[in-house]
Amino acid sequence: MGQLRIFAGGLCSALALSVPVPARAFTVAIAAGSQEIYLQVGVGGFSGTYIAGGTPGNNATINNVSVTVATTTVGNGTALAMATDSSVGASSYDGYVFCTPNVQLYIGGFYRRPGNGNTTATITATVPAALVDAAGDKISFAEISWTTGGNGDAGAEPFPAGTFVAGGSQVVGTMAHNTWNESCWTFSYKNSAVPPQGSYAGQVVYTMTAP
Amino acid sequence: MSRRRTPAPRPLRPIAAALLLACALTARSATTAIDDGATIVYTPTVTMGWQSRSPRAHSSTLMAGTTPVRVRLNVSPWLHRNGRIYLVLPAQQPGPIRASWTTQGRLLPGTLVSGTRALVYSGPITTPVMEDLIQLAIAVDGRQMDRVYNIDFRFEMDSN
Repeated sequence: MGQLRIFAGGLCSALALSVPVPARAFTVAIAAGSQEIYLQVGVGGFSGTYIAGGTPGNNATINNVSVTVATTTVGNGTALAMATDSSVGASSYDGYVFCTPNVQLYIGGFYRRPGNGNTTATITATVPAALVDAAGDKISFAEISWTTGGNGDAGAEPFPAGTFVAGGSQVVGTMAHNTWNESCWTFSYKNSAVPPQGSYAGQVVYTMTAP
Repeated sequence: MSRRRTPAPRPLRPIAAALLLACALTARSATTAIDDGATIVYTPTVTMGWQSRSPRAHSSTLMAGTTPVRVRLNVSPWLHRNGRIYLVLPAQQPGPIRASWTTQGRLLPGTLVSGTRALVYSGPITTPVMEDLIQLAIAVDGRQMDRVYNIDFRFEMDSN
C-alpha cells in the first residue's frame, strides 16, 4: 500500500510538469481574393508579369493580321501565311518567349474565380460577313483560318485552330477558373476567291465572358 | 519480548506497473506545445494568388500566398536542456495545405503538409526566447477557396 502512495505522488508531479506554460498557436488567414478576368489578343496591357506581381490593365491597340496576294496568284487556292504587326512574343504570365513576334498572334489571359464552382469562361469572336475594300467589294471572312501552338508547348491548346465563321459569333477558346491560358495563332488566307484588286479589311472582336 | 514484524515487499500490481512505465516513457520524451504568444504575423489576412508551374501545361488550380512572420518562442521552461522544436500544421479546412518557409538562420527552413510537423530546431536551449523572422508561404487548392480560412500553426517541443 505504501508503494501505491508513492506512485500517486509521482503521477501528480508528472501532470504538473506537462503543463508548464500557456500553449499558444499562431493563425494566418487566407483569402481567395477578388474575381478577375484578363484577355490579351496581340498587344496587351499587363504591367510586368503575373508571377512577378504584375497587374492587368487596358490597352486599346488593335493589331492587324495581313497578307499581300500577288496579282499572278490571286485565287489559285494556295493558302498564304499572314503576318501580324503584333510584336508580342513573351507570355504576360512569366515572360517566357512563347510566340514568334510578327508571325504569330499571342492570345492569352486568365480567369480567376475562387471557390469550388467548376466554371469556365468563354472567349468568343464576333466576325463580320466579309472584308471590304473602298469600293465595297468583299472577301468572305471564311477565307481566313489559323493554326495554334507555342514554343515548348504540349497537349491541347486552350485556343485551338479554326476558321472564321463569316457573319457569325464563334467560340474560339475557353478557360477553366483559376488558370492561365495562352496560345499563339498563325493566320493564313485560303486564297480561293478572285476579288477585284483592292485593299480589303475587316475587324474581329474577341470577347471574354465569365459566369 | 515482542518483536515487530516488517512485512515483506509485495510486487506491484500489473496496472500500477503499467502506469509507472507510461510515466517513465513520458518523462523520457515529452512533447509540449510552446508558448508562441509573442509571434507576429505581419499579413494577418493573406490574399492568395493562383499559380501554375507553367502556363503551357494549361492546368493549375494551386493558389499561394506569403507573409513574413516574426516567430518568438518562449522556451524558458527548457532552458539549459536539449530539445527539438517542430512547426506543426494540423489537418484543417480548406483541405490539403502545403506550407514552406525560409528563415534568417535561427530556425531551419522547411516544408510540410497539413497533418504533419517539421523540425525547425534541434539542440541546446540557451536563451529563454528563440526568435527568427520567417517568410511563410501557403499553398492550397484554389477550388476550395470559397471564403476566408484561418490556418492554424503551432510549435511543439520534444525534450528529454
